[in-house]
Amino acid sequence: MPAHWTEETALKGRGHRSLGRRWRRVSTRSVIGRGPSRDGTGAVIGRWDPAAAARNPRKVSASCMGRRRRRVDRGAAVGALPEAIAALSRTLPAGPSPEIFRRAKFDRPEAAPALWQLLFRVLSPLSANGASAPPAQGEPPSTEAQVRVVKSELHSQGYPRRALAQLPEDGSQGSRELLLALAWLLARGPLLERLLAQTRVRLGDEIPLCECEALASPGPPVPRVEADGPVDIRHLQWLMGKLRFQWRKLITSQQEQCALLGKIHSYTRGCHSDRSLGHLSVAETELLRDAEGGRQLLRRLESENVCLEAALHWRRQELVFWRWMDTVLGTCPPEASQPTFVPRIPEKGAGEWELVARELQALQEELRGAAEPRRAAWEARVGGWGPEWSAVQRASREAVGLELAALQRAWERGGAAAQPHGPCRLVKSDAGASGGPGLRAAQVIEVLRSREACLEAVLCQLQRQCRQELARLAGALPGLIWILPPGR
Amino acid sequence: MLPADCSRRLVAELRDALDACAERQRQLERNLRVSRRLLRTWEPAETPAPQPTPAPETSGEAPSPESTPSPQDLKELELLTQALEKAVRVRKGISKTGERHKALSLKSGSAAISATTASAPSRASGQASCRVSETKPPRGIQQTVVPARGLPECRLLSVGDRTRMGRGSRATKPGPGPRDQQIPPSAALQAPEAFTLKEKGADVDCWLPQPLWKPCSGLEGGSPQSAASLSTGFPDRILLRLPMAYRKAASRNSRLWAQLSSTQTSDSVDAAATAKTQFLQKMQMTSGGPGSGLSAAAVEAEVGLLRTACSLLRRRMEEVLSADPADCMQEYRCLLTLEGLQAITEQCLHRLQELRAAVAGQQLGPWPVGRRPGASLPCGGGTDPIWSPQLLLYSSTQELQTLEALRLRVAMLDQQIHLEKVLMAELLPLVGTQGPHWLALCRAVHSLLCEGGERFLTVLRDEPAD
Repeated sequence: MPAHWTEETALKGRGHRSLGRRWRRVSTRSVIGRGPSRDGTGAVIGRWDPAAAARNPRKVSASCMGRRRRRVDRGAAVGALPEAIAALSRTLPAGPSPEIFRRAKFDRPEAAPALWQLLFRVLSPLSANGASAPPAQGEPPSTEAQVRVVKSELHSQGYPRRALAQLPEDGSQGSRELLLALAWLLARGPLLERLLAQTRVRLGDEIPLCECEALASPGPPVPRVEADGPVDIRHLQWLMGKLRFQWRKLITSQQEQCALLGKIHSYTRGCHSDRSLGHLSVAETELLRDAEGGRQLLRRLESENVCLEAALHWRRQELVFWRWMDTVLGTCPPEASQPTFVPRIPEKGAGEWELVARELQALQEELRGAAEPRRAAWEARVGGWGPEWSAVQRASREAVGLELAALQRAWERGGAAAQPHGPCRLVKSDAGASGGPGLRAAQVIEVLRSREACLEAVLCQLQRQCRQELARLAGALPGLIWILPPGR
Repeated sequence: MLPADCSRRLVAELRDALDACAERQRQLERNLRVSRRLLRTWEPAETPAPQPTPAPETSGEAPSPESTPSPQDLKELELLTQALEKAVRVRKGISKTGERHKALSLKSGSAAISATTASAPSRASGQASCRVSETKPPRGIQQTVVPARGLPECRLLSVGDRTRMGRGSRATKPGPGPRDQQIPPSAALQAPEAFTLKEKGADVDCWLPQPLWKPCSGLEGGSPQSAASLSTGFPDRILLRLPMAYRKAASRNSRLWAQLSSTQTSDSVDAAATAKTQFLQKMQMTSGGPGSGLSAAAVEAEVGLLRTACSLLRRRMEEVLSADPADCMQEYRCLLTLEGLQAITEQCLHRLQELRAAVAGQQLGPWPVGRRPGASLPCGGGTDPIWSPQLLLYSSTQELQTLEALRLRVAMLDQQIHLEKVLMAELLPLVGTQGPHWLALCRAVHSLLCEGGERFLTVLRDEPAD
């Protein structure tokens, strides 16, 4: 028999007095609280079977309503919390049963392992084609490793509660803290949507338009064996050469893939029931070709649909969850504000910082070097100009101000406002048909070209800077003739 | 030998770059394997790019011998078609389904088989007949009727027209241009191949006669510029119908994603948003953590923005410096722009120092171990995410190739710039101090930093003759 929410009243009876008081205090606001405090039996909540709720939330609420037909409103409201939590569970990867959430409110240790694992799944970066979660490669990480990842990720995202960091690493405790952390993550941003999008079943042939996706998901960080001894610079040259070779290989493979994709798309033209797509994607062609694979795809698609429905359901119902979370937060004593974290500034992060600082300083020097003599020359020249000139001056100043403000906005908005973002499904379409929805490849190519030009300029500038620096150093040595390689 | 910490950092950066590359390659290989496997069934000859026949025919000429069915074959074919038509009529009479146009379309479907299998009648006609007889009329008709957008007239071509033309698959192309005639004869000789799939328990034969597909591959491979004419010149769409269950699930899926992405608000959504904000505030108040809520991730993002800002500012500066002002006005504007840029740079530096102070004050480590802050650039789209994919329309394989090549090129340049900066920071100071192997180091550094590792400079020792 599954445990019931009656445990709340049971706990109260067993001398959790503070808990009981809190319960009654919040019960005036909380939907859930109303049940036990008014009729004193906890009957409604007590009979709720979380497992059944997870299976079919609607039936649960219906049965609740049936039981208390006279107080339909209240009955529905009481069913709403477990229903909302069940929807949440179905959306989350490896979502634990709603019962775990309830136990976590009372900080029961038996709820902790499931929640550590859940948070690990939620926080660890997923592999690029996220259909299979991280543990796909080899065995899942040990509990200790999971706990460490959860703590460090939450910390880096600015999670405020210290209590979490102090939990033991064996993952045996802290279910309430974990529940709070989960709620914090949920409250902060579109967590569910992000998770769903990461594991989305890809039906089309997709390309990411933006490097933020391609590079943001390199899989879980692999502990690497660092070369600890000093290396010769020739080793670096060798690695550089290897890298160049890899890129070349990548480009060739990519070209072949494009050709194959184009063939598949034109061979299957007109086969898709969706007119805006017109042809099949690789996944869809494979579905026709390979019956077993097709069944699997269908199963995955259907289970994703279930998750999506649950997410929409959760969106409609989540208010009651947040009211409940308020009561959970209420059961925690406030923390003393005493930072206990050990500061840790990894050298890599600091190095990045240094790079930016150095670049900015160099830029500032150059700007000063360029602007100051010009200003001096200008002042000398305009000395005796009349008042009509000042109007022109003012107009120029305003124009330049606007231009620079636009430049500043360009990066404050993220640097690339014009850059299309997000995954795209590739569709081969007639050159003539231009009315339909969707991006045109030509547009994207244009954006990419300008980005390419811009990056090339940056790289060339850096190389020029290096050349000047090296020439300066070399100039100090007489008796050497430097012959540059034939230019590009 | 380089110093140990410099070695460690540089090797780690290069390894990271190599790993990122290898990961891309792995994904690509996976996709390539799937695509190759799918195409192998359509192109069993394993010719990477099917060659069009060297001798092109104009529509008036007699077809080349190997692709022409003999009169005997044609006659047999005619008989076969008649028999099939009869069978269909009988069937239709029994099932009492089918309007006129459906019957016609079925006819043209069967005609397509006969026409295309004409060149290999001994093998294919038997298959074709048995396949048609297997097809259950209601479903079979439905299958052939469906999309064929913009090409209804081909679908309704009468049987007589087709078989009379009798030039294998070429005959099925409407409005043939001279290029469209270049069909590899080998292609027309291939037998049709069946695909079977289950649709809700019932067997539906989904089949692809090879010859109809083949000519297009020949054209695509041979002359990509004909893609536009190709895309309209696809007469008999051989319908690979996706199973009903899949179509339902897929359309449901896209509907759900659209709902999830919609930002439309309601009372309950607004109330939940308020509740969430309150929850976060309450949590912040009762916890002993940092007050400002400036997280390491936020700091990281902001440093990334400052990096972008720096490169934008530099670009603007170079534009201004390279411009040649024509008059006083323009000269004045250049001056003002330079001064403005200087002020903005000042602000950026100030912000960077503020961030550094904030991090130091809060004692929060900027980045957790195992993440690579330099690798990814901040992206503008993050604030307004689109969860389901949008469509990206391309018109030809070449366009797609250009797009993908550019995408890779941009990624590569991003990586190169990052590496260049790291190498500059580590190697330039080393060159500044002259050691025993200074010249060799200088050469290597020059090659790495100034030539992307591709070329070397030559150093000559110019010793004065005694």
